[in-house]
Amino acid sequence: MSRPTQTQPLPDDDDPLNPKVAASALDFLLIELVPLAQRITEQLHAREQALQEEYRRSRTFNQTASKTLVGSQQKKLQDGDGEEGQGAVGVSADGSSAAAGTGGGGDGGVGEGSGVTSLGFPVMSEKTRESVFWRLDGMGYRVGQGLVERFSLHKPRPTTPLDAIKFICKDLWTLVFRKQIDNLKTNHRGVFVLTDTRFHPLSRMSVDRRTGIKGAEEALGRAQTFLYFPCGVIRGALAGMGVEVTVEASSTEIPTATFQIKTKGAKA
Amino acid sequence: MGARSPSIAAIGIIGRHNNPLHIALFPATGEGHEQQRDKLEYSFMLNSSLDIFEARMPSKTVGHDFGLLHALDERLALYGWLTNTGVKLVIVVDMEGRTAPTPEAGKTAILGLRNSDLAPAFQALQTAYIGLLRNPFYIPDEHDPSATKGSGSLAITSTRFINEVDRIGKTWHSGMAVV
Repeated sequence: MSRPTQTQPLPDDDDPLNPKVAASALDFLLIELVPLAQRITEQLHAREQALQEEYRRSRTFNQTASKTLVGSQQKKLQDGDGEEGQGAVGVSADGSSAAAGTGGGGDGGVGEGSGVTSLGFPVMSEKTRESVFWRLDGMGYRVGQGLVERFSLHKPRPTTPLDAIKFICKDLWTLVFRKQIDNLKTNHRGVFVLTDTRFHPLSRMSVDRRTGIKGAEEALGRAQTFLYFPCGVIRGALAGMGVEVTVEASSTEIPTATFQIKTKGAKA
Repeated sequence: MGARSPSIAAIGIIGRHNNPLHIALFPATGEGHEQQRDKLEYSFMLNSSLDIFEARMPSKTVGHDFGLLHALDERLALYGWLTNTGVKLVIVVDMEGRTAPTPEAGKTAILGLRNSDLAPAFQALQTAYIGLLRNPFYIPDEHDPSATKGSGSLAITSTRFINEVDRIGKTWHSGMAVV
């Protein structure tokens, strides 16, 4: 399709007046997103740990070095490098005292045992768990802002927060997850609960029923990480429409997912 | 004396918290009528248009096109457009900004513009802004003073967006269906 008055004919899937989302590409991307966030966080955490280890090691090295140098100082004096040795001791003593002041904060790093689960994904330690969730939420936030700009092009302007939430339930969910939200509850005081009985990213997850209840719980725990990105998308989309919210997601049973949206100053 | 026809004098893109994201100025063209635009003067004009947006906001619940915001004098007029996300697009039109390409166009300067004349320009601007949001290196929160606690409110630096705004400003003329 080409229009003679336009400078560049837009490809069919890039027309901003008729926007489309590549659904299967998005599904694969969402699946990969969680391990990606985990790997990023693990790497950053490992690098931070390495730096802290080095700090600590250099501090202890300086302390032991100063002790040995003091011990061998008499020998060095005889050798003639006494002054250099003394100078070195002085410097290292200062260095160690300076490091002692800042190294106290670096003692928080205990070895994180990063094992691997049966599927080959890195097991998250407690510390990195929070940062992974935060990172996923931040990614979703930026995506949500972009999405709302592009896809609310021809829709009427939302005047109340309820209108904005309705846009999320109907239009945004249809675009990103190919279905609408099944249930929307509100207490009319700023809290909204969105329920999706067959949440798309969770719909294809397997649960190891052989282990009984424990398997279901383990699956829920793993599924929890996949809910943070959609939380961020909702938060970003609402922020784009001018509604500041906090979003929490939970799942009691695969594939149902519940999203709790609280606007600022809401009373539960 | 050649007939003159309207051209865009300035385009302003203002964010949700009334922070200026981008201001582009277009000098008047045509021999004998060339005139540079004063940036400060146009900043003031765009600033004053924000009050009009706020005043009309409660009564205008449907639609994005705010139409003619304010006619400053015989030559300059301000038109506005509000997106769903609260971004305001303001176009200042100079009714005698360029030499008229055809005699009919020359008459527009006397008759005046309709709101629908500027709709293609606003749509092109909105398309450009959406294109900017698809750029992963543009983070809207960095340009939002409330989110960055006063250290932000930077103007947009994406060259592609700036070039696109320049193209819209220069090529628009009344009666264009698509910019």
